Amino acid sequence: MMDVSKLQAILENDGIVFLSYGGFLTQSLIVGMTEALEKETETAAINMKTANNIYTIFIELSQNMMTYSLSPEEGEQRSDANGLILVGKQQDDSYYLLSQNVMGLEGKEKLEKKLQGILETDLAGIKKLYREARRSGKDTHSKGGGIGFYEIAKRCQSIEFDFKPLNNDKFTFKFKANI
Amino acid sequence: MENLTLDETKYTPLIELDAAKGVIALTGKSYPENTFEFYKPMMEWMAEYFRTVAKDVTVINLEIIYFNSSSSKLFFDFFDLLDEVKDDHKLDINWIYDEENENAEEAGEDFIEDFEDLPIKLIVKEE
Repeated sequence: MMDVSKLQAILENDGIVFLSYGGFLTQSLIVGMTEALEKETETAAINMKTANNIYTIFIELSQNMMTYSLSPEEGEQRSDANGLILVGKQQDDSYYLLSQNVMGLEGKEKLEKKLQGILETDLAGIKKLYREARRSGKDTHSKGGGIGFYEIAKRCQSIEFDFKPLNNDKFTFKFKANI
Repeated sequence: MENLTLDETKYTPLIELDAAKGVIALTGKSYPENTFEFYKPMMEWMAEYFRTVAKDVTVINLEIIYFNSSSSKLFFDFFDLLDEVKDDHKLDINWIYDEENENAEEAGEDFIEDFEDLPIKLIVKEE
């Protein structure tokens, strides 16, 4: 039998988990989970700014994962059941979002460069990058490609990320946004 | 020209495009999966409206609570379209937000800076 106590311990050590989901993502699931987050932030009387940051980052991360897992760019319609997304509250009462999914080498290199750039840039700089990318990307990225992580960075205190090599040029991408 | 109304959903805004009154209004959240496809009828309606029957003054009311990054790009294109017609048409553009919604306010300020020739007003929503 699955050891539920381990999961319990994780939840207790890491504070309150509002929402966690692992598996295939669809738009209707994302909408449902966003609705659940709205209810929870309402119940917890979280201020509107923080609440909006939580929804926006959640939507960006989950739609990224959904779009990615449907992309056939690796020559295969890869179903990404390894995807994981979590919204939680740390012991210092701050909120965080965590996501994990599998990426190919090309995607990894592009994203790693972008995230590294974000780490080296202050908030004013990130806002500038966001607007430049939005302006230059007119009509070219129907999925919004490119500005999503700037949007996330604008809305949180800090980001953490890690690419762990799997096999066949695949990587597990872990991302955390501390609000 | 026909009016176009799209009902609000949990992830797309109420869209009211009224050619007779000269009103373009979006109210709600915006995080569709295929943003550009979703908004295509609206963008086409607007292009047609300004080409043909546009009123002396067109009122544009945008009240978007929160939105995803592809919607952000779409709204940029939306303002870009308005920017292209601004010399021939009088526009009254209102970016409406809740007092507590700092992110929406900031998004409006960004659009004002990006489109400094457009008369975009920030309006705090009445309770």
